[in-house]
Amino acid sequence: MKYFQPYSVEEAIEIAHASESTFLAGGTDLVLHMRNGKAQPSGLIDLGKIPVLREIKEVDGFIEIGSMATFAELGNSELVAQNAYALWQACQSMGSPQIRNQATLGGNLGNCSPAADGLPPLLALGAEVHLISQEGEEFEPLSTLLSRTPLLGQNTLILGFRIPINGWQSGFAKLGRRRALAIARLSVAVAVEINGTRVENVRVALGAVGRRAFLSESLGRELSGLDLNGAWLEKGVLEVQQIVREALGARASAPYKREAVSGVFREALASIITEGGTQA
Amino acid sequence: MIEIKLVVNNKPYTLGVEPSERLIDALRNRLGLLGTKEGCGEGECGACTVIMDGKTVNSCLVLAVQANGSVITSIEGVGNRRSPHPVQKAFVEVGAVQCGFCTPGMVLSAKNLLDKNSKPSNEEIGIAMSGNLCRCTGYDKILRAVKIAAEEGKE
Repeated sequence: MKYFQPYSVEEAIEIAHASESTFLAGGTDLVLHMRNGKAQPSGLIDLGKIPVLREIKEVDGFIEIGSMATFAELGNSELVAQNAYALWQACQSMGSPQIRNQATLGGNLGNCSPAADGLPPLLALGAEVHLISQEGEEFEPLSTLLSRTPLLGQNTLILGFRIPINGWQSGFAKLGRRRALAIARLSVAVAVEINGTRVENVRVALGAVGRRAFLSESLGRELSGLDLNGAWLEKGVLEVQQIVREALGARASAPYKREAVSGVFREALASIITEGGTQA
Repeated sequence: MIEIKLVVNNKPYTLGVEPSERLIDALRNRLGLLGTKEGCGEGECGACTVIMDGKTVNSCLVLAVQANGSVITSIEGVGNRRSPHPVQKAFVEVGAVQCGFCTPGMVLSAKNLLDKNSKPSNEEIGIAMSGNLCRCTGYDKILRAVKIAAEEGKE
């Protein structure tokens, strides 16, 4: 197996174009997949020595997050905590401290596990993905990107993400078999635009319900333009159960997840609305 | 073979490694540092924890090539029988060691916490130790040992 360690994005793209190699981010998934044979790359392009990919910064009304920013770095970022709370929450609970120190947000998308913790918050927050290949650069909404198969072209590199800073409130919750070191069995991220007591707009994303994390457009529509109160919360619970029912069909986990999602949904909203229906 | 340079327990090394070789393999097989244990081999148990550039990582999930240029502390660099680290001393005093397989990783997670935060709360200790599994002790004595080590460090 070949190994490349480029020092710039341009160099990484050139190597990707010239060889059939795989990009290596933190490696917490890829190293494992190489060992159990799930991945058999002919070469690795290690992105660990490209400083620009690690940056987390505010640019023109967006949070820009480099693909190689680790979950630990995101979880320690005041900028993320203030403006992308759901993502910040997900970064506190993903894996373990050791994994959060190594695993990256770009790798989370590149690997694209159904249970990827970073994706539902990014979806709910309206994140766009910054991609680059020899053909050029583009920003693609994450929700659009996740409907593509394969996710990325062979030589396309995830440069990073951008999340609009728009005053929306957000939250994330997941269900695992234990608190630490547990792969999400179910995760929910919610972002809401609140005007006074009214919920103007809502985005709800689910993880570990089907092949990839997804944004529920119908749920967003159903819950938008209503007053934020206990009735709104209960309507949301019923709607989200319906979405899980539709997404999972006759799968063995369906009855369990349909029930469990109501609790996870409430928990995701805990920082926004209390059980009693008042704003948190 | 790819040449990497790294500092392990304050000693500089230049090693030839395979691209697919993990950091744990390089530490154990090339440097003979057998204190780093491989438990699950998939990042679930934390037995293989080492400190890399001031952060704990699972050395079973890091390629040796990714550690190129890094400073690594493994359990051999923490203390010894004659002058144990406060965390090691507390582990022995409290009886936080049973079979001992998880202990090197536990000690490194605790040491790294105390290096950064000399007065951790119980919650902070719990979070710092949450990536290390122990199948013997039930954790109570381990958490107590970290607390004691922190208190001794304060004096």
